[in-house]
Amino acid sequence: MAYVWDQIRGAIPLITHGNAYIMGLLWVTIRVALVSTSLALVIGLPIGVALGIGRFRGRRALQVLANASLALPSVVVGVVLLLLLIRPGAFGSLHLAFTLRGVYIAQTVLALPYVIALTPAAIQGLAPGLLDQARALGAGRLQLATFALREAKIGVLAATIAALGAAISEVGAVVIVGGNIQGHDETLASGILEQFTFNNANDQYAVAIGLVLLALILVLIGALTVIQQRTGGIQLRFREA
Amino acid sequence: MRLLWAELRAAVPMILHGNPTLFSVIGFTLQVAVVATVIATIIGVPIGLAIGLGRFRGRQVLRVLANASLALPPVLVGAFLFVLFLPQAPFGSLQLIWTKRVVFVGQTILALPFIVALTAAAVQGLPPGLLAQARLLGAGRLQVATLALREARIGVMAAVIAALGTALSEVAAVAILGGNIYGYNQTLASATLYETNGGYYADALAIAIVLIALILVLMCGLAVLQHQGNGIRLRFRSAT
Repeated sequence: MAYVWDQIRGAIPLITHGNAYIMGLLWVTIRVALVSTSLALVIGLPIGVALGIGRFRGRRALQVLANASLALPSVVVGVVLLLLLIRPGAFGSLHLAFTLRGVYIAQTVLALPYVIALTPAAIQGLAPGLLDQARALGAGRLQLATFALREAKIGVLAATIAALGAAISEVGAVVIVGGNIQGHDETLASGILEQFTFNNANDQYAVAIGLVLLALILVLIGALTVIQQRTGGIQLRFREA
Repeated sequence: MRLLWAELRAAVPMILHGNPTLFSVIGFTLQVAVVATVIATIIGVPIGLAIGLGRFRGRQVLRVLANASLALPPVLVGAFLFVLFLPQAPFGSLQLIWTKRVVFVGQTILALPFIVALTAAAVQGLPPGLLAQARLLGAGRLQVATLALREARIGVMAAVIAALGTALSEVAAVAILGGNIYGYNQTLASATLYETNGGYYADALAIAIVLIALILVLMCGLAVLQHQGNGIRLRFRSAT
């Protein structure tokens, strides 16, 4: 174990002294996480709510599809997106391949299934009759949607946490679409992969990046979990009744 | 879209004509996924049962830990194991780095949290009085555990499918630990990464299509299970 401790001890100065390379990775990762999670929420919540409260044909089929998309491997998303984004491809003229904006898109696509699949699950888990009551009392579609979202906020926050986790820690699509360009669109996770595969394992850098990534996940997911638990009273009340 | 179509047209014959490299990658991937999941199930189900059923101190902490380990990025797990397996490190004498065996080891460790956390959750989701009744009727620990496992079998099977899914599509730990060596220890996912980085897009797409097909089969299995699960849960609900 002494060897591992030495590695960690060697890595800590890199973090505390704010090594420019590692801080750059951290900054890119935070941006990717926030941008992709927000985009995924903006696009995914309306779809998720529609799937959760809608009563249209094919809703079940769409929901099965949404659940299946949770299992989409990141490398597959990466290849398909890259072929759409590079030069002769459909969106090649937008110059998105191998850029940070391309990485935003890739991580949004990967975070989206969590929002789309977990939001309807949360809404359908609400106390039976709750939404029917709102409908009976004359709530319009938009009111119903807002109401459902507010009541299911624990589940929606769980979806947000899962989406954020995917946006931070996924590596396959980032490497493929972004090209892992140092100081430009490399994230902490893809930085670790690069340290181990493409260089001759520069251990202390890799360990330092790993520690920063772990800390970032603990802080972001921890904060969201605390928010989620604070809003927890409502569901408990329903259960007691 | 034309680029994607052109590459797809080149990719499909590779699958249909049975490209030998592709088939060896498929074989290795299936082998890794099955072996890793089976070992993780053998180790993980008893732990999950103990965490879910046990009434010892600190089980709450263990539950949180099990759930948290689900959120660990595979790239971190891979990096951590790599450092442990380096020649100078505690497990260096096993000489695992850049071998086939290490891919099995890594995927087993990554599959374990799914089995432990989801088994514990499935057991805890059983109707509250069921296990208490069994205890009251004089069931021993082992009998209670067997009963819980049988009653929560659908949740446990869902856990197994989730573990299989990660084993199939995970790329980071495989690439770090195994070194992503062509024709040796590549899985479908890591081979996709490799071919794309090399610019062989048609090859990458062919592999990706096979990967998606395998995952779709798994998801269908899961959907069937959940369908059965709903039936059972509904029966319980109507009984109360």
